[in-house]
Amino acid sequence: MNTRIPSSRPQRGLKWSRLVPLLLLSGAVAPLVPQAAFAQVAGAHTVTGKITAENGEGIPGVTVVVKGTTTGATTDVNGNYSIRVPNDNSVLVITSIGYTRQELPVGTRTTISQGLVPESQALNEVKVIGYGTQRAEAVTGSVASIGGDALREVPSANISQALQGRLPGVQFAQTSSQPGASTQIRIRGTRSLTASNDPLVVLDGIPFPGSIGDINPNDIQSVDILKDASATAIYGSRGANGVVLITTKGGKKGQKPQVTYSGFVGAKTLFAKYPMMSGPEFVALRKAANQYTNSLDEADDVNTDWQDLLYRTGIQSNHNVGLNGGTENGRYNFNAGYYKEQGVVPTQQYTRFSIRGTLDQAVGKYVRLGFTTNNTYSLSEGSNVGVYGALTSSPIANPYNADGTLKRTIRMPLDEQWVTTKDVIEANQDRWLSQTRSLASYNAIFGEFKMPGVEGLKYRLNLGVNYRQSQGGGYTGQGINAVNPTTPSSASVSNAVTTDYTVENILSYDRTFGEKHNVNAIALYSASSNIYNQSRIAARDIPSDAFQFYNLGLAAGEITVNPNDQQYQKFGLLSYMGRVMYSYDDRYLLSATFRSDGSSRLAEGHKWNTYPAVSIGWNVAKEGFMQGVGAVSMLKLRAGYGVTSNQAINPYATLGRLTTRPYNFGPTNYQTGLFVSELPNPNLGWEYSRTWNYGVDFAVLKNRLSGTVEYYVTNTKDILLGLPLPPTSGVSSYTANIGSTQNSGIELSLNGTILDNLNGWTWEAGFNVYANRNKIVSLAGEQQRDEGNWWFVGKPINVVYDYEKIGLWQQGDPYLNVLEPGGNVGMIKVKYDGTYNSDGTPTRAIGTQDRQILDVNPNFLGGLNTRVAYKGFDLSVVGAFQNGGLLNSTLYGSSGYLNLLNGRRGNVKADYWTPDNTGAKYPKPGGATSGDNPKYGSTLGYFDASYLKVRTISLGYNFDSNAWLKNVGVSRLRLYVTAQNPFVFFSPYKKESGMDPETNSFGDENAAVTTSYPRRILTLGTNAPATRAYLAGLDLTF
Amino acid sequence: MKRFKIQFLVGTAVVSLAAAGCTDLLKEQPRSIYDPGFFQTERGVNGGLTSMYAHLRYIYGNAYFYNTTLTGTDEVTYGRDADENFLAMDFSGRAALNANNSRADALWGAAFPNINTASGIIKNASAVGTISAALVAEARFFRAFDYFMLVQTFGGVPLDLGSGELEFNTNPIRTSARNTVPEVYTKAIFPDLLQAITDLPANPRVVGGATKTLARLYLAKAYLTYAWWLENPNNIPTYPAAPRTDPAGRTAQYYYQQAYDVATAGIDSPGPFRLQGTYYDVNLATNDRNNEMLMFADHTETSELYNAGSLTFGSGASPDNFAGWMLTWNYTNIRSTTAANGNTQVSSVQREAVQALGRPWTRMAPTIGVIENTFADKTNDSRYDGTFTTTYRGNWPKGGVAAQTLYNANSLPVVPGNAILTFLDAEPTDAITYPTGAGTSNIGAGVLPGRADYVIAPRGISRIVYPGLWKLGPYRTDNGSGLGQPNAASTRPFNIAKFSELYFVAAEAAVKGATTKSGQSAKDLLNVIRARAGKWRFDNNGNVAKSQDNSAAMVAATPATIDINYILAERSREYYGEGYRWYDLVRTQKWNELASTYRIGGNNYGDHTPTTVTRTIQPYHYLRPIPQLQLDRLDVSADIKATYQNPGY
Repeated sequence: MNTRIPSSRPQRGLKWSRLVPLLLLSGAVAPLVPQAAFAQVAGAHTVTGKITAENGEGIPGVTVVVKGTTTGATTDVNGNYSIRVPNDNSVLVITSIGYTRQELPVGTRTTISQGLVPESQALNEVKVIGYGTQRAEAVTGSVASIGGDALREVPSANISQALQGRLPGVQFAQTSSQPGASTQIRIRGTRSLTASNDPLVVLDGIPFPGSIGDINPNDIQSVDILKDASATAIYGSRGANGVVLITTKGGKKGQKPQVTYSGFVGAKTLFAKYPMMSGPEFVALRKAANQYTNSLDEADDVNTDWQDLLYRTGIQSNHNVGLNGGTENGRYNFNAGYYKEQGVVPTQQYTRFSIRGTLDQAVGKYVRLGFTTNNTYSLSEGSNVGVYGALTSSPIANPYNADGTLKRTIRMPLDEQWVTTKDVIEANQDRWLSQTRSLASYNAIFGEFKMPGVEGLKYRLNLGVNYRQSQGGGYTGQGINAVNPTTPSSASVSNAVTTDYTVENILSYDRTFGEKHNVNAIALYSASSNIYNQSRIAARDIPSDAFQFYNLGLAAGEITVNPNDQQYQKFGLLSYMGRVMYSYDDRYLLSATFRSDGSSRLAEGHKWNTYPAVSIGWNVAKEGFMQGVGAVSMLKLRAGYGVTSNQAINPYATLGRLTTRPYNFGPTNYQTGLFVSELPNPNLGWEYSRTWNYGVDFAVLKNRLSGTVEYYVTNTKDILLGLPLPPTSGVSSYTANIGSTQNSGIELSLNGTILDNLNGWTWEAGFNVYANRNKIVSLAGEQQRDEGNWWFVGKPINVVYDYEKIGLWQQGDPYLNVLEPGGNVGMIKVKYDGTYNSDGTPTRAIGTQDRQILDVNPNFLGGLNTRVAYKGFDLSVVGAFQNGGLLNSTLYGSSGYLNLLNGRRGNVKADYWTPDNTGAKYPKPGGATSGDNPKYGSTLGYFDASYLKVRTISLGYNFDSNAWLKNVGVSRLRLYVTAQNPFVFFSPYKKESGMDPETNSFGDENAAVTTSYPRRILTLGTNAPATRAYLAGLDLTF
Repeated sequence: MKRFKIQFLVGTAVVSLAAAGCTDLLKEQPRSIYDPGFFQTERGVNGGLTSMYAHLRYIYGNAYFYNTTLTGTDEVTYGRDADENFLAMDFSGRAALNANNSRADALWGAAFPNINTASGIIKNASAVGTISAALVAEARFFRAFDYFMLVQTFGGVPLDLGSGELEFNTNPIRTSARNTVPEVYTKAIFPDLLQAITDLPANPRVVGGATKTLARLYLAKAYLTYAWWLENPNNIPTYPAAPRTDPAGRTAQYYYQQAYDVATAGIDSPGPFRLQGTYYDVNLATNDRNNEMLMFADHTETSELYNAGSLTFGSGASPDNFAGWMLTWNYTNIRSTTAANGNTQVSSVQREAVQALGRPWTRMAPTIGVIENTFADKTNDSRYDGTFTTTYRGNWPKGGVAAQTLYNANSLPVVPGNAILTFLDAEPTDAITYPTGAGTSNIGAGVLPGRADYVIAPRGISRIVYPGLWKLGPYRTDNGSGLGQPNAASTRPFNIAKFSELYFVAAEAAVKGATTKSGQSAKDLLNVIRARAGKWRFDNNGNVAKSQDNSAAMVAATPATIDINYILAERSREYYGEGYRWYDLVRTQKWNELASTYRIGGNNYGDHTPTTVTRTIQPYHYLRPIPQLQLDRLDVSADIKATYQNPGY
């Protein structure tokens, strides 16, 4: 749609489509071509022909213009055109998005058919920039884009998994390994301490209030990520953490109706078991610790692998059927999808049904109407089943009775564990379940009106209406997952509803003056509101298993409506926005934005905020002096500065809060107490970020190599912080604007065509690498350290504040008794920061002041992808890597309770210290403890987080020119096989544990003790184990 | 048609502009949470009152705080499975106490928000206008109670939380300045309690509610403690530094007298409170919330929500009442066999939710001195029997073991309900045959000829096997015929204050020179307690009714002259394992004298040789360290932070 028609008359430069929001975007939409009359000239004649693609098919919607005139035509659905040329000297200019522009002298020919050559992506790529699209060439902000097909190279439940490692500056971190789970997205680091650091997701132009898993990756046309302030500015405060623009597929104008099918099916297997000790290893540990004797269920000659008894192979499948097409005035695209993913933990699975439709219809000359609707029903099951029970079970405990039946529980020296095996779980599926059913509907409707008489002026109304309901239900039958067989059954139901709307009124103006001055201006007024309402009821002692959670009213025991489980949150946002983009001759580019937001979440008198952003670009390659430099096809320099702001705290944070405290006076007089836990802050205002962004885009060697380098600095101040107060203040916290942070970083992405159809071989490769440096610049007041929150000036936001293990205490090491009163040889030795007496003895014992600041952030991250094609075959590999950073594995650390090193229960495989094995990494069993764990045991969980991971390998074959298939109406058929998560290299953690080094939990989840780490410090805990999948798939177009 | 569409579009735009333009969109109205304004309503004030009772659960019943009140005293040392929190409290060299491992933080963390709530109630009540003085007095009581606990534990603490001394704090400050000990007593504790005594009702408003009697006990105790502080007989340091003089110029003697007067007033006007008939009844679970109890942190087994903790599996954290797990050793390791001299072992005493058993954590253990000296008289005095589980009885059928008869010590048969293991009251005349290591009992217990139960003598107890604490054992009514829910935290109330303590406070004040009233000398007062201790109605460990009155013998054995050490010993007999001891020893400055050595066996089964352990208790240990969390959250320079901490830590 951004194809330019050379035109001598400004009014022909009607590039209204630049302004059309996302849902109008599709690959090959032709501009409106004025039907100009022309005079008869000598030599004038009509030329007809067919414009075809590489495969010989006609391309609809191609623009054919007589050079130097306004005479033009558009190809029909079959690629045919007809145009009247004024004379024999005429030259036809043929342009189409995605293809190299062609100029063909006409001469006296009356038939000119031409095949078009696809153009390198780098030049004609269209980027969605928010309230419009822009050719990559004209973009001045920082926008990273990926197409839907590239995205689908990594088959997954949702795009956040598929995008990992694909785009520089965008970090995707896994927060759960369960089927259907999504990941945490961080664009250029974390800025805020308490407010949300999540980016804004915009689906088809409307801010998306739902779960990213509700979007079927198969429906996606493109994902564009706005990274710097000048790019995000038009989304205002909601875009402070970057914006992820997701555009779903539309129909194509003039496209014959076509039916597509794509799908895959495969097996999901374990990547690696959690590395637990075997029976003999455990026997040795228990002996070394000398603390526990075998229980009645244990014997030294038993070797039970509880994980073997638990896991299964899951099935992953995905099916999509679509219909799309278009006429002269309208386009449509409908798709139905089904996705199912089973985990390796029995009963864990995720099922999603999605239906999507989009329609865009012109009505008369001035009006366009359309809508997009995305509807999803999903079912998540099995979160009740965890792996911790299996891991903690003693490997020398025999799960079977003498008669071969499974025991209900096994006893260990201190603990008794309900036996969790695949058979037990499957036998009890109807008595032990947890499920969440979600129904989501995301809808965008627009109406557009071209102002007659004012060239380039348009009014558009966008209305986004979204609804998401999530219904949870869980039931645990009597004695299930309990030591005591008479533990009453329990059940719960929950319901969460999000209703959300956005109204946008957009006035846009787009004109080119004097051929070279292009002005694009937009003004917007929008209002949005979101209501979230959650309720939950729990009950005990359900009389019949058959009821499960479907009638809690029948409970014989207590029915609980816990006030903390009931939630209502409403927020609103009003915005005014204006943006002007100006370009001169495509050489000099300028974009200026201002936006004013009013947020309900902030205090009265501090609700409104206005902020600007400016960016400029210079297409150096278009300068005359560059024309001789043939090697450079594109070179653009750009710089941007902008302010964004963040208000993403919870609603009502300015008001303070009373927390409830239930109590009973005597056995049955129940009362609910309340006390002030948060103080109000009538001055709570906006958090600001100021970002400088510098970028260079280039393409050299005839576009064979293209890339982008960017550098940015973001300074964030007045940070919104839920500030914990010292207990002596009598109140636990309040929310304030305190402190400042800085993120700076560098990003590089390269895409190259190494072999370009050399003897049939094509080899393409992409690579990106980025590094972000994050630091806290200031905290509240003069404070340099906030040890309670692990925040330190000059250090990154995400650090672990803990002791630093420097080895183990060995026989004869000096000052053990001084530094570690009550300590023992073989215990963990940590760094001592204190002073020494003149005789060299330390002045004190090791204490809390010796804790160190351990940075968890990687040095750099990135990804690579490559594709080799030969004839119909193609092989693609997608990988991701990380260098440095701290991986916190609670499996090895204290909070997991799986490395107690005392033989009390199942223990992770650990090379521990004994008098004969003093070079071990892990401390002496049964030595000094803190809690139940080895003293400083948390330090055992810290690993170097580096890795290089091959995320997928796919081998496919395209039956592109198979005559038989053509005869039965198949225009495209592709078969492929994919291995997902096949390899991990260079990971110290994998080297030791055999496991996938990706995090799988928030810091406060999936560990025995969930209070050791703040939620923001992602960990590798006892969630569902990492998997590897083998899939076979097929894409088909009729 | 076209015209219509345009009009429609423009119309819609205008309507949507108008609708969205409504600034109501930016107004906030919470609908699922209380904002602080609600605290200024009558119902808000009532909610504040309830939360003050609920705050007790975050202190009492929390096993780690419980540990700080006992471990390291002459009552308790650490058990085999102790972690650093317990080892550090023992001062016997296994770990050094510091701001991070001292678990007195439970008190610090719970008290200040509650003090603020109390100040808020006091302030808002007058604004609301419909709140009775009696309700405000409950707030005053709790504010004084928290300050009293804090000042005993940490020394001087701040009276100004941010909005002025004893004012409701609405100012989010991150600094803090500590007041001195005499300021805390004379500005906060005494005035609040005096007002509370005036305004509180004689009969509690709710079960466990604050009363005049309760306020009298705490005022008397506060006077007594402050008097000791002024007197400072062993020159124990205070912090922040303050001269040992009363701001009003009153002497220690004056306060001893006040303590005596207030305590005896409490005894003389008891309201609904009485001593129970027997000591057994005081702590008997079926008799919980009896009329000897002035205050407790309540729990319930009928509501998980209001119990605020799981009814099936406790995680070992507040607000659960899990203190009782600490002095419970792992009796489930006891083995009997299914045949005489057979190899098939059975756990004959299984984990059960009954008062004698419960969930074992083996974190704390009684010393041999407790068994032999504190409870020297186990015959007349019913309190040893009413404190410990010394007989472990077979309960295997409830755990699903079908055998009717098992074979135990000496391969003799036992049936359910029989003693499987007995801790003897005294060293037997015939020597016990102990095994090497765990032996056939699997826990290293010995045998005596002819006895089917395994036995352990008082001097044979160790950090891993010792009499359990019966007082705090769990009790449930929903066990049915099974073992119940022994892994849940106790659903019993944790008792905090008892009517009986008025006698001790008055007696202690009398010993310290208070002028006594007729019939209420120190000896008279203690004899009331001792006489009751001589009364039996049930032999707890014998599991048989026992109607016996040894009051006369008990009174006869009372020494003619009562001194502080005798009062402390008597207090230990009465309140063993209930969380009083460290405060008693610190108040009287007798900690070092009475607790600097103790005897106990080692960590392993079969270890029956007592060792004498020495503790190093320094004068600065008489104050606990200020918790790390407080220091971490203070926004002050490092040197100011250092001066905020108590010296020595």
